Amino acid sequence: MSTGVALVVDDSRVNRLVLARQLETLGLEVMEVENGLEALELLRARPADVDMVLLDVIMPELDGYATLEAMKSDETIRHIPVIIVSGVEELESVVRCIELGATDYLVKPIEPSILRARINASLASKRLHDLEAEYLARQTSLNETIERQKTELARFLSPQIAQLISSSDGEGLLAGHRRQITAVFCDLRGLTSFAEQAEPEELVAVLGEYHTMIGEAIIEHAGTLEHFAGDGVMTFFNDPVPQPDHVERGVRMSLAIRDRFQPLTDGWRKRGYELGLGIGIAVGYATLGRIGFEGRYDYGAIGNVVILASRLSSQAAANQILLSQRAQAMVEGLVEVESVGELSLKGFSRPVPASNVLAVR
Amino acid sequence: MHEPDPPTLDESALADVSASVADDAEFLADLVRTYLADGPTHLAAIADAVAADDAEALVRPAHTLKSSSATVGAMRISARARHIEMAARTGTIDEATRNDAGQLVDDWNATTEALEGWMAR
Repeated sequence: MSTGVALVVDDSRVNRLVLARQLETLGLEVMEVENGLEALELLRARPADVDMVLLDVIMPELDGYATLEAMKSDETIRHIPVIIVSGVEELESVVRCIELGATDYLVKPIEPSILRARINASLASKRLHDLEAEYLARQTSLNETIERQKTELARFLSPQIAQLISSSDGEGLLAGHRRQITAVFCDLRGLTSFAEQAEPEELVAVLGEYHTMIGEAIIEHAGTLEHFAGDGVMTFFNDPVPQPDHVERGVRMSLAIRDRFQPLTDGWRKRGYELGLGIGIAVGYATLGRIGFEGRYDYGAIGNVVILASRLSSQAAANQILLSQRAQAMVEGLVEVESVGELSLKGFSRPVPASNVLAVR
Repeated sequence: MHEPDPPTLDESALADVSASVADDAEFLADLVRTYLADGPTHLAAIADAVAADDAEALVRPAHTLKSSSATVGAMRISARARHIEMAARTGTIDEATRNDAGQLVDDWNATTEALEGWMAR
């Protein structure tokens, strides 16, 4: 027993009757049309409903050759197997039909056992094609989902982290590793009092402008954004992508942020808000990787270097970029600085020498 | 015709069709009735094409008559239709073809009689 839908195309009512009934006897559902034009019309209207076509060659309106050619040049129906049904004197035409893309042929009068074999072979190849098409469709939708997730991920995470998660060697880096990084911490002065006076919408709008500006600078300098915490923004360099010039990048990004912060403050001042920006930069070893808990992980950096950058940022006066001593040593000659002496920082037992970045030479 | 004349009705062809449709006698009777109903249309088309000396228009009705006649075992008329089709494909209608076409009516009457006799059994 076979299952499937066969379309019988023959101008002779007698031949159509016999073939249709023979196919039904084999278990197929049968549709019948009288010529090639009707066949194409039906196939194009219901391409998914037909599993094979049994095609007579000599027909009015549109003969077997032309029908076959039209089918094979139509993307939506070219995959449907076509079995040529011909008389014994027309074997030459069978050759031509096979060349045109017919799957198989039958010679009239049709021998039932041969009919069954041909039908089953065509159904098997059609099923294979359908499976393939289904698999492709599923694969395509899976790929689309992955792409969409990547895009969404890239909106929530640093591009570097999003890339890392999608890459094959990401797992090792996520598991945790130690590396020297440059940590850059930015936050605002005067935000607390501003937050107390301002309307919530105003506060969100101001933070939005600030984050947009910083976000652009981070991307330009290929920094890895660790997190936003209100006005506090923590970025690091040299991980997960190694950057030999990580300190310089951190300094250049900080200067870019300071330059672009000025026009923003001008705008805010007109609206009555006085906000200043402080930046801290430190260099040192940190442990990096996935931190958090199942359900909410971040890619984070843990170590003294992060705390130092954060403390320097808090200590910085408006428009200052405070550089740790070690960071300064690594960009010596490249960056123009002024010493701010030794600072007493929370959590640090001894005073910490630091300098303010003036410009890049 | 040069070969020995085929039989008017080869009942073994009908028996083969019957075997391939699970011996559905009602279907077989329907099929024969359809054949007998459609035949005159093909005969008329053949007569018209011969009268108009239109070889191209002769091919298809001759082809269809040949093919559907063979299906029900009407071998004599099928063979004659085949001769006509082959001749028409050369592009001209010669005297032998005209004779064949003229013989079709007699063949048809004999075929009808034989098939009706077969159905009556």
